Amino acid sequence: MRRPRAAEVAVVNLAACDRCGLCLPLCPPEAIHLEFDDLVIDRGACTGCRKCVAPCPVGALAMVDA
Amino acid sequence: MPDVDILIVGAGPAGCVAAAWAKRAAPELDVVVLERDRAVGTPVRCAEGVGDAGLREFANPEGAPWVARKISRVIFIAPNDSEVRVAERDVGWILDRTRFDAFLAAEAGGLGAAVLVGTEAAGMTPGPHGRWDVRVRSARGETTYRAKVVIGADGVEAMVGRWAGLETRVPARDMESCAQYVVRGIDFDPDAIYLQFGHDIAPGGYAWVFPKGVGIANVGLGLVALKSDGRNAREYLDAWLARRYPRGACAGYTVGGVIVHTTVTQTYTDGVLVAGDAAHMINPLSGGGIVNAMKAGRLAGCTAAAAIRAGDTSARRLAAYHHAWMELLGLDHLKYYRIKRALEDLDDEFFNALARTVNAIPQERRTLGRIFTHALVKHPQLIPVAARFFM
Repeated sequence: MRRPRAAEVAVVNLAACDRCGLCLPLCPPEAIHLEFDDLVIDRGACTGCRKCVAPCPVGALAMVDA
Repeated sequence: MPDVDILIVGAGPAGCVAAAWAKRAAPELDVVVLERDRAVGTPVRCAEGVGDAGLREFANPEGAPWVARKISRVIFIAPNDSEVRVAERDVGWILDRTRFDAFLAAEAGGLGAAVLVGTEAAGMTPGPHGRWDVRVRSARGETTYRAKVVIGADGVEAMVGRWAGLETRVPARDMESCAQYVVRGIDFDPDAIYLQFGHDIAPGGYAWVFPKGVGIANVGLGLVALKSDGRNAREYLDAWLARRYPRGACAGYTVGGVIVHTTVTQTYTDGVLVAGDAAHMINPLSGGGIVNAMKAGRLAGCTAAAAIRAGDTSARRLAAYHHAWMELLGLDHLKYYRIKRALEDLDDEFFNALARTVNAIPQERRTLGRIFTHALVKHPQLIPVAARFFM
């Protein structure tokens, strides 16, 4: 896992995430991946732009201090 | 290392139809379809509606076990709840996607393609002689497939396109966030689909009721998060259901993204084609994508098969796929996208007024064409919309 480069990074609440994949093409640095049953966010690639947060249909994404 | 001719990622409508048509075009080819989920057709991330004519190009819906309901009417609901019934000659269908996708997969299998479930593509890199080496994971472990052509039919997440260096990212304003329940015990016309617009209901999108039977329907909505008041799609849907169907019993719940953009600028590169949602081949006005995905899959399967037979899977050869798609539907989607953008400027009061005007047309003469013409006469602010449509 690379060290974060942004002050804030996106995190996913896997209990709420439905693995729909909507956030993947919204991520400018392509930091979000789906691996079978889990959404994975590369903290080192996340730029903290927040573009994935509001569109999540179930509110499973949030920003935290890096 | 398994060596195949065509490796298709995703066993939805695009992938299964691509596999079937590749085998029809060139039965001697090895065609493998990878499906990450443990069964084809699950989970259903779809409102399941299709137009009649498009569907019939691929399968006969009459009496088919994968059909849930035949549709003969469209009912638009204005923001103020006034309804406009439209008599349409073109009938549509509500599918049972779990069965429909399984039917398409069985058809591909019957033609000799291998459909592997519980198997995901994890990455790909260029191999020798223009081949692609695709890392494939399943419960049995990881292996690498070497393929002459990889078809990315992997839906909204579109990893194949990304790995191949195609631009598949989506601007936030062109992503619809959708949520849907299967709702039982509600009262509606089971032969009609309902679409409701309104800034407080589904900003930038619409809410829908798609009947699966009498008293049971897919009830959902799609919205553009940039226009939302801070609530997510599920919260908007809960509010709409509570107001409209307070006694409905919610069963199956699903969410997903619908890309309401135009086709990606390039759907091919050396040894790679992308099709369906993965290539943003969704009607940007309606959000419908099933038939589009099948049409693209047919083109992709045939193009890939012919390219392999000719011994040339270069980008230059595969570009024929992109041109054929743009001719078939891609250019229409550019027009629909312009209409969508123009409609974004209109407020709830406009749609309420349009509903009043249109309801003055006798119901049996209320076709979409007449509504459009009438709207232009009565609402001159629509003329720029029409102008942009015909440009």
